[in-house]
Amino acid sequence: MKLAALIKKEFHRFFHDPRLIVTMLLPGILIYVIYSIMGGVIHDHAAAEDYKFNVYVQGQSEAIETIETAAEQAGLSLTLTPTDDAATAQEAVKNGDITAFLCFSEEGALTIYYRSVDGESSAFRAFVLDVMHFYDELDLSDVEAFTASFTSGILPFIVVVFIFSACMSITLESMAGEKERGTLSTVLVTSVKRYQITLGKVIPLSCIASIGAASSFIGVACSMPSLMGVSIGGVFGSIGFVGFLLLFLLILSVVPLIVSLICVVSAYAKSVKEASAYTSVVMILIMILSLVSTFLSGIGAWTVAVPVLNAVVCMQGILAMNMSIWQSVVSVVLNFVYTALLVLLISKMISSEKIMFGS
Amino acid sequence: MSEEIVRVEGLRKTFTLSRKQRKIERTNLTCKTAVDGLSFVANRGEIYGLLGPNGAGKTTTLRILSTLIKPDAGDAFVCGCSIRKDTSKVRDKIGFMTGELKLEGFFTPDYLFDFFGAMHGVGKETLQTRKKELFARFGIDRFAQVAVKDLSTGMKQKVSLVIAIVHDPEVIIFDEPTNGLDVLTAKVVTDFLCELKSMGKSVILSTHIFSLVEKVCDRVGIIIDGRTVADGTLKEVCADLTLEERFFRVYREVKGDVV
Repeated sequence: MKLAALIKKEFHRFFHDPRLIVTMLLPGILIYVIYSIMGGVIHDHAAAEDYKFNVYVQGQSEAIETIETAAEQAGLSLTLTPTDDAATAQEAVKNGDITAFLCFSEEGALTIYYRSVDGESSAFRAFVLDVMHFYDELDLSDVEAFTASFTSGILPFIVVVFIFSACMSITLESMAGEKERGTLSTVLVTSVKRYQITLGKVIPLSCIASIGAASSFIGVACSMPSLMGVSIGGVFGSIGFVGFLLLFLLILSVVPLIVSLICVVSAYAKSVKEASAYTSVVMILIMILSLVSTFLSGIGAWTVAVPVLNAVVCMQGILAMNMSIWQSVVSVVLNFVYTALLVLLISKMISSEKIMFGS
Repeated sequence: MSEEIVRVEGLRKTFTLSRKQRKIERTNLTCKTAVDGLSFVANRGEIYGLLGPNGAGKTTTLRILSTLIKPDAGDAFVCGCSIRKDTSKVRDKIGFMTGELKLEGFFTPDYLFDFFGAMHGVGKETLQTRKKELFARFGIDRFAQVAVKDLSTGMKQKVSLVIAIVHDPEVIIFDEPTNGLDVLTAKVVTDFLCELKSMGKSVILSTHIFSLVEKVCDRVGIIIDGRTVADGTLKEVCADLTLEERFFRVYREVKGDVV
């Protein structure tokens, strides 16, 4: 009954304060709007469907066929014209008469002549570099693998950042704010158990933060088609039910963990301002961890023991269609264990007069 | 013979002084003893007043009694329950009101009364009856649905008071109960203290207002530098002097001067 009242109070505060609801839902809407506009601008430059890419080519290479195939798949209208007169081709690029000039040496090395002030010319250069970059590594006809590679790298990082931001915006105010204003002490005088007070914060704040994180995540997912040219179906279509379930459980385990972590920092800090400064440091650390796992492939199984990082690595595995079920399950269980330990720590902290009332 | 309801035995509490605090206090000492072997007894159906200047240790004593902080030495018993060992039982038996315990401005008095009732495990029906009675008694029903942040200081004090006694505690502890109140609200609070006494409740209050002690208290303890320097009924403490005269005489004996 006491725990229920504590949980109800946090929900009441959130759902009866329009500002808090807007703060929680607005990021998702803004992300969708901004990313969609950005995507629109990029794709207007990069691949206007009506634009005809007129490119001169000197020399012979297998890459020419690959570029043609990739352009066809991307829906670009590309005309490759062989030439032996490099000087004229360069002059044509300079004057804007053609989009670009690709020059293959006898050894197969490629030099691209383009005009950086010309959006289409720059976009074509970027397109060729992309194609050449993946030429040796990926079969370009396997679009699903390319999509998985891209999304598995960046999405978990984005998800963790959004979860942290959502947790931060409500937890600081609820924990450090109540401590600073002295309203938490009013509850401490009652006979309610300290762990109930802690759970009365962590449970509702986790639920509310999940709404915020979901809002941001949906914003990103919906803006992906226009921003990256990657469809939502392309991202999630091949994951399957088990993959979805594991993704859900991983996110579900990370939210209360991050909320508890911020609660620890907030309980320790004397004010919201101080808690905000400490939490920023924690956020940077988590971002670095997430980025490390994004850019380093083949991280060992030890990551399963590192809170938050374990979820990022598992999410990457699931999105790359290379998931390890046992690793994901262990990560989820461990994250809940870490949360329980943090709840105990917070309970101890709010029982401590030194932490609650200073010296 | 009076029934003993609160017994305080040799309470001692020392605080570590930060560098900033040492600078303010102009001292090189790293610790400050706020309460130094304090003892007193309060009986059922009595109002006990802790009288002392600022920094005497009144608030620290009440915070120890309310289990917000722990004593370094000594113990106190509320209805026979130790504040060290039976913390949860003590919390059920006391109601604590102090300026440092704030109410969340976002919520209404009505919501907060229900919330703190639940925190104390008060049943729904009892809670509603009690709410009706207390809100009418203090005129809170007029602003029961107004957010606390929009209330005046006096209104907030009234709300704090009814929330402190939502669970009908045996002992009510008030830290400076009439501070910052206008004369009308102060009278309502003072009258209520007497009413609590007539209902057989025990009240412990801290104050530096002589007239309040003289008006409502049955027993008084004068605290200076964390020690009880006089304790007993008003008649025993004052003898043939007024409380104010007695206080400054004791103060002069302890401190050697009067500021």
